[in-house]
This record gives sequence, C-alpha cells and structure tokens, in this order.
Amino acid sequence: MTPTIEFQDVSKVYQHRFSGREVVALSHVSIEVNPGEVCAFLGPNGAGKTTSISIVMGFLYADWGEIRVLGYAPGDVKAKRQIGFVPENFSFYRHLSARKLLEFHAKLAGVPENAANALIRELIGKVKLSDYEGLKISKYSRGMVQRIGIAQALLGDPQLLVMDEPTSGLDPAGRKEVRDLIFSLKQSGKTIFLSSHILSEVEQMCDRAVIIDRGQVVRSGSMKELLTSEDRVEIVADRLPEELEPIVRDWGAAIERNETRARINVSSARKRELAEKLWAAGCDVISMQPVKGSLEELYMKLVGGGEPS
Amino acid sequence: MRIRTIALNTFGSLVRDKLLIVFAILFTCVILLMMTPLLGMKAMTTASNMQQEQSVILELVSVIIFMVSGCGSLLAAWLAANSVATELKSGTVLAVMARPVKRWEFLAGKFVGVMLLMSLYVVMMFFLGYLLAWLGGQKIQSTPWVLLVYPLVRYAIYSAMAMTLVTVLHPLVSWGIVILVAVGAKITAPSVSVAKPALRWIKEIVYVILPSTGLLSEDRFLTIKDASLRQATWLEHLTTLSYGLDYAFVFLLLAMWSFHYRSLKRD
Repeated sequence: MTPTIEFQDVSKVYQHRFSGREVVALSHVSIEVNPGEVCAFLGPNGAGKTTSISIVMGFLYADWGEIRVLGYAPGDVKAKRQIGFVPENFSFYRHLSARKLLEFHAKLAGVPENAANALIRELIGKVKLSDYEGLKISKYSRGMVQRIGIAQALLGDPQLLVMDEPTSGLDPAGRKEVRDLIFSLKQSGKTIFLSSHILSEVEQMCDRAVIIDRGQVVRSGSMKELLTSEDRVEIVADRLPEELEPIVRDWGAAIERNETRARINVSSARKRELAEKLWAAGCDVISMQPVKGSLEELYMKLVGGGEPS
Repeated sequence: MRIRTIALNTFGSLVRDKLLIVFAILFTCVILLMMTPLLGMKAMTTASNMQQEQSVILELVSVIIFMVSGCGSLLAAWLAANSVATELKSGTVLAVMARPVKRWEFLAGKFVGVMLLMSLYVVMMFFLGYLLAWLGGQKIQSTPWVLLVYPLVRYAIYSAMAMTLVTVLHPLVSWGIVILVAVGAKITAPSVSVAKPALRWIKEIVYVILPSTGLLSEDRFLTIKDASLRQATWLEHLTTLSYGLDYAFVFLLLAMWSFHYRSLKRD
C-alpha cells in the first residue's frame, strides 16, 4: 500500500536574511500517513507542524529528504487536484461573499461550471452558512470564516484533506460539527492529516498521531499504541480482603473499591506477583488489562507543555 | 482559465482597494482644478489673442496629460507590487496555491489583473486628452491607437519590474526602485546632454540597461498641431513596441522564476 503522505528524513532550516542565523525547523523527520487514515500532527507552537504542512502543500521546499504526496512531488498540480487544504486562520478576499469565494475556488479547482452551482449550495449547507451565503466574508465571525474555509477545502471531492488547526476559532457547537464532518469524511474513505492543539478531540477523531517537538518526531503510532501504557496494568478483583490492602499499597498500587469489586492499578513488574497473591487469598481475578492513558498525559510527558526555545 | 480567474479576481480586488479609491478621488479633484484655468482661457480667447491663447492652452493640456500619464507609471508599479505583497501578507495566496495552480500561473494572473486595471486607466486618460483638447477648442491630430497602446506597454514594463522586485523585497522598496529606474531612464535619455566625457559614458551605459520608456511615451505622438505631428512608420512602431513588450516579458519571466523558488508563507 503506497502511503498518501510520505516524509523520509526531511530537514528544513530557516536562515535569517540579514544576520544569517539559522533556525532548525525540522530535523530528520519521517512520517507516513496511509490511505483512509485520520492522522493528527501534534506539538507545541513552533515545533514544526506548520512547516511540515507547508512542505506537504508545496509552499516551502525542504532542504533535505524525500517527500511524496499521493505519489507525486509536493506542489505537483496532479497531487493538488486531489487535495483539500484548510489553512490555519483561513484568509479570504474581503470583497467576496461566501458564494463568490467558493465559485472562485471551484474555477481554480477545475469543477465544471454546470456542477459547481449545486456543489457550492451543498457545501454551504453542510457548513451551515446557507443564510449568510450572500454576505461579504469580511462581515463573518471568526468561526464562520473557519467554516467557509472548510467548505472551500471540500470542493472538487479531494482524496486527501490537510487541515491546519481546523477547529481553531470555533465554539463548542462548531467544533462538534467539524468533528462530525471529519468522521463522515473518514467513513467515505478520505485521508485526513490535521494539526490541532485540542488533544481530547484528536483522541476521539484520529487513528494515528505524530508528536513533534523542536523539529523532531518524539513519538508516533496508532492511537491504541500511544494510549496504551506499558508501565502499568489494572487488575479487577472480586472480594479483596482488607488485610491484603496495606501489602498491595506497599507495592505502589492504587486501589479503588466499590461494594463488591476492587480496581488495582499496579506497576507491570508486580502484576504476576499480585495476581498470585490475590488467588492465594481466595480472590477472583476478573480482568487484567494495560492501563489506558490519555493523549494529554502522553503529550505532557513527551513535550512538557513548554514552548520551544 | 485559471489565469483568467485569478486576473478577474485581482481586478475586482484592485477596484475596491481603499487606497486606490482615495487616490482616484484626489486625482480627479486635481484634474478638475487644472481644468478651471483652461475654461477661463478659452472664454478669454478673442480673434486678436487667439494665437497666444492657443499656445498657452496647448501647454496646459500637455502638462495635464503628462502628469496623468506619469502617475499611471507610478500606479502600475504600485499596483503590481502591492497586489502580490497583499496576497503574501494576508495569506490568501496559500488557499489559492493549494489549488491545482502553478506558481507562474498565479503570477501571470496577477499581472493580467493589474494590466486590466491599467487598460481602464489608459482608456480614461485617452478620453481625458480628447476632452481637454475639446474644452480648449483644439483637436488632437495623433492616431488614437498610439495613445492607447504606447502607455499600456510602458505600464507593462513598470508592472513587470515591480512584480519581479516584490518577490524578494518589501512592496514599498520595490516601488521606490521602480521610481528610481523611471527617473534614471528619463535623465539618461539621449536628449539630455552631459558635458563631462566620463559621465557621458556612464549615462550611455545606464541608458542601454534601463528601459527606454521615453521611446514608449505617448508624448512623442500626443500633439495637437498638425505642423508638429511626429510621423512614424509602421516599422518604427513595431520596433518600439516589440522592444517594450520584450522588456516587460523578460521581467515577467524573472518574476515567475523568482516566485517559483520563494517560500510561500504569511509575511
């Protein structure tokens, strides 16, 4: 299976025009996004997300490395015919209304004129702007602008959607609408590559994530792989004797009890020992599973929430 | 198709540009103010002073047209520089370039859009010339197409030059350089004499390098009196216009080449 986006050992260095000072934006980054996947690109501000997206779109040239997008070089017109792009803080021509803007983009995307009208109406409806389609975009709220940005990306039925912070500027209802839209696009087999700071959303929407910091990939993998902690397991046991509790706590385990059952969160190194102890004490071990962490926990652990220096 | 779409959108943006609207209003006011003495002089013309008044009127008409035409050059350079710079500054270029549009097509579209507006300007300037001559009781003897095509080719040179510069420089700096080039071309023209041999040598080199927009000046043909009408053959027109178009085309190619290799991001 040919990846939709393929980055191999990509590096990009920005050079200050006058001082000549160099800033490494990307350093030997390798990423693969497979067809039909929703892949999130995470990292603090200045980590290199927008640079990577710009390279995918052909706006910037990498200094080093191999990049293929839908099997073509980035920026190739043949690839761009199959790509929809939502830039961060979508910019627009102030003199155009939503309909006119979509007509402009439809012409550039090569949508036949007879099909464009119906398609534009459908997309405006999809992003819930039908009542405002004749209004100049300069009069729109930030959320409405973002929605029209998403609508223009969907023109021409793209196979790959590249979204730089698609939910930024949207209220909770707007965010949910975008989430639902991404789900429906995923169901129709589209590949989506998005960057976002809203980790809870990413956790819900994405199949894979790539975490980048200071221009380097610090972790990537499927969401299941990323969220599964290798360090701790959760054992659910029936009838845990009270006298056993202090011993288990001494092993660094956390116990959560209800009337009949106890959930014991313990280090993987102690799981066998604990299970044997429980059995010996006459407890029923109902389940033993790796603890599922949150993306936020993982992100904070890897990136630390700090801005790059 | 894509070039046409970008060109029409550029034209649409430019005619709504607030700065341009203010410039147009101020410029119209200046023209109207300059027309007042013209009308006054026409009213004062009698059989005895006709010859003298006619010469003053012609001088005034020539000054107005020279001013309008010169402003057109500045305007062409500014619009070209600003139309590309605005796209880069606002980030609208990103959404456009995400479409199946080649970089050269984008720049060609911007250039055609600017030239569309300049065509409108030239047409207005053409009618203004005829209106002023009519108000002064005179008639322009020159061939009309010359008054339309020559300034347009000159504006194409300045636009292409500004577009090349703005791919690497700030629009104001680009505009300033184009103005310097225009002034340089004017002061190095063969009609301007220089005493020192060394300076004359430098002047000749600069004249060869810079676009000889004086050749493309409609002033050469914008004459009212039959007696002073400059006769030009079709071959001369063809050579001069080809030279101008060639100069503009080379700069446009340079702009496309430079734009192809530059980074596209919000400036």
